[in-house]
Amino acid sequence: MTADTLPLNKSGKILEILPSPLKINLMELGFLPGKKITLQHLAPSGGPMAFRMDETLLALRKSEAALIRVEQI
Amino acid sequence: MAETTLSQKTLTSRIALVGNPNVGKSTIFNYLTGLNQKIGNYPGVTVDKKTGSVQINGESFEILDLPGTHSLFPNSEDEIIAHRVLNHTQLETRPDHVLMVIDSSQLSRGLFLASQLIDLGVNLAIILNMADLALKNNIDIKSYELFRALGVPILSTDARNQKGLEEVKNLISQRNFSKAPNFIDIQQVVPVEMLAQVKERFALENHYQAYQMIRFGTRDKAVSAENRAWLENLAQSADFDLEEAQLEETKIRYKKITEIVTKALTKKTEPKPKSNLDKVFLHPILGYAVFLGILLLIFQTIFTWASYPMDLIDGLFADISGWASSALPDGPLTRLLSEGVIPGVGGVVIFIPQIALLFGFLAILEDTGYMSRVVFLMDRWMRPFGLHGKSIVPLVSGVACAIPGVMAARNISNWKEKMITILITPLMSCSARLPVYIILIGLTVPDEVVLGFINLQALALLGLYLLGIVGVFGTAFVLKFILKTSEKSFLLSELPPYRIPRWGDVGITMFEKSKTFVMEAGKVILAISIVLWVLASYGPPATMDQIRQEGEARLENVSDEEQIALIEAETSSLLLENSFIGIMGRAIEPAIRPLGYDWKIGIALITSFAAREVFVSTMATIYSIGGDLEDELTIREKLAQQINANTGEKTFNLATSFSLMVFYAFAMQCMSTVAVVKRETKGWKWPLIQTLYMSVLAYVGALITYQILS
Repeated sequence: MTADTLPLNKSGKILEILPSPLKINLMELGFLPGKKITLQHLAPSGGPMAFRMDETLLALRKSEAALIRVEQI
Repeated sequence: MAETTLSQKTLTSRIALVGNPNVGKSTIFNYLTGLNQKIGNYPGVTVDKKTGSVQINGESFEILDLPGTHSLFPNSEDEIIAHRVLNHTQLETRPDHVLMVIDSSQLSRGLFLASQLIDLGVNLAIILNMADLALKNNIDIKSYELFRALGVPILSTDARNQKGLEEVKNLISQRNFSKAPNFIDIQQVVPVEMLAQVKERFALENHYQAYQMIRFGTRDKAVSAENRAWLENLAQSADFDLEEAQLEETKIRYKKITEIVTKALTKKTEPKPKSNLDKVFLHPILGYAVFLGILLLIFQTIFTWASYPMDLIDGLFADISGWASSALPDGPLTRLLSEGVIPGVGGVVIFIPQIALLFGFLAILEDTGYMSRVVFLMDRWMRPFGLHGKSIVPLVSGVACAIPGVMAARNISNWKEKMITILITPLMSCSARLPVYIILIGLTVPDEVVLGFINLQALALLGLYLLGIVGVFGTAFVLKFILKTSEKSFLLSELPPYRIPRWGDVGITMFEKSKTFVMEAGKVILAISIVLWVLASYGPPATMDQIRQEGEARLENVSDEEQIALIEAETSSLLLENSFIGIMGRAIEPAIRPLGYDWKIGIALITSFAAREVFVSTMATIYSIGGDLEDELTIREKLAQQINANTGEKTFNLATSFSLMVFYAFAMQCMSTVAVVKRETKGWKWPLIQTLYMSVLAYVGALITYQILS
């Protein structure tokens, strides 16, 4: 599954970042294989999603979250 | 002279301040430089070049505050600048030392950039900032371990609470920076022969600099076309995948960083729960309600607070100009000063309270961390119009004044989204349109209550604001299909923890933004006011002289003061009618007749190109109201009596008034905005295009309105 399909308040472990021009931007921010992310907030009507990773809360668009392959934990 | 500046330059050390966004870099910059800051431009981009100077133990240092960046991989204009300065392709800003600020609770992300700086071979020192926040999150950093692993001096500070900042000064004054051994070996990712070739051709210091050149030199306009072609050729002939190399580099770096962080950092491992504030502020319904409430509060405050200093400035400049005209010998130069230059300067200064307050509020919202929440909430609703979540800030500012709005658009990194935002922001109904609306609504809409609670005048005013909003989103939607960019739009932003705003930094932001506006836009505004004054004060000499003589002749036999005032007002009205602007007003009459305007309104349209609110005072002069301009009622009564010579009807009937209001809603009648758009887009192309389509929109809108209503 990818991070955009994680249910609200559930966590996932990152398996890989899918190829895309944004891959490097995601990795720069620390989205790396092995990291745990938790979906904490959802903007309404398919808006952005906010994930907690370590100490940070990071906002991503749905299409950007779809680049992160995770397994739910 | 040239020699002294040169020797000074070689003596003063330049220190670049680098870091990820939101790490408290600007607090440290503000602490070091205070108000000794200069905002300049980097060639070819809209990024502000912030420099400042600091005296430590009698020695002067120049501090260069680079835009926040996550890495040396340039993604946005901001990051391109950081990349260029640190890679020395921007030669005139080459730093001697680099001071990097890391957010202690974001150690890995900070170390990523730090490790790249180390590999570039810069003279580096690291500040671990926000020690307080790290402590709150139960993070303990062993800085000695970090020092051992990295090999550069490390300091701990808590800039918000002014802790550890003296040590930063000491570090700078002792030049306690060092070049550390390579963090990673870039030969793991790029063939060594390739690195060697590039290193030699560009006379670079090490392999990592060569790698940066291979990876990004082809996109950097600071590199000559010939060299760019050469680089392109090199990568192609070696059949080398640059993007793959960059990803590989990122992986290797983070692997090593994770090892270091595991050793140097101890923390409680349980995941952070949702913050209570976010439960409200990011709530799918409550979140929007809170945002609306905060907006209302801000506008309420701006309108009440700004009006006092604005009235004061208005009065002050009226006094100065009155003093100038009475104290100096009468003549064209005095009149230019008292009627052109001084009111022109006043017209610039009058915006300062609104700009400063608005930027103050924006800085507070930004600094507390709330603004990124608004971006999170609004992104979904902005995107269908080719805008970004960040566009909400300029648009909201636009309700008070388009100038700070346009200036705030530079935070949007995507070129297309930024341009659309700048182009549509002046269509929001700003506060300068209000006096025009109020007079015209007062003239034509009855002050009656319908359906028990709706005031018709208030309804008309609301309608005009909505019209502006429709104009904003309609235009954005059209521009979305016209403007093209290859840049990908992304959100990818941090929602930082909520903090108490740093009041000192808020104050400095207010000061710097106002200063930038006065310095940059002020020149253009002043120039246009002088031109407009000349056009309004001069006309064909024969006619003008005749009017003056007739006026004086009429005055000779009159002693009643009221009579004198009336005759003087009528004379100045005649003079304006026959001035060059009057002639222009008559010339455009055929064009504006279909909108329901006569040539007198035409004059007001031309003069209010400078600023919308000039409409009121021009109307007062044309209809020779004289006396106290502040008295809105007298203007309204006078206007109500006017008869249009073309139609024989009242000039300000319902159709004409609404046509005028629609015109003012859409037209670009604010040279300050034109000047700021020119500054933000680095040229005259966009402000001219913008003025053109806004005029077309205004004309067509007014035409439709008049034809329907008449």
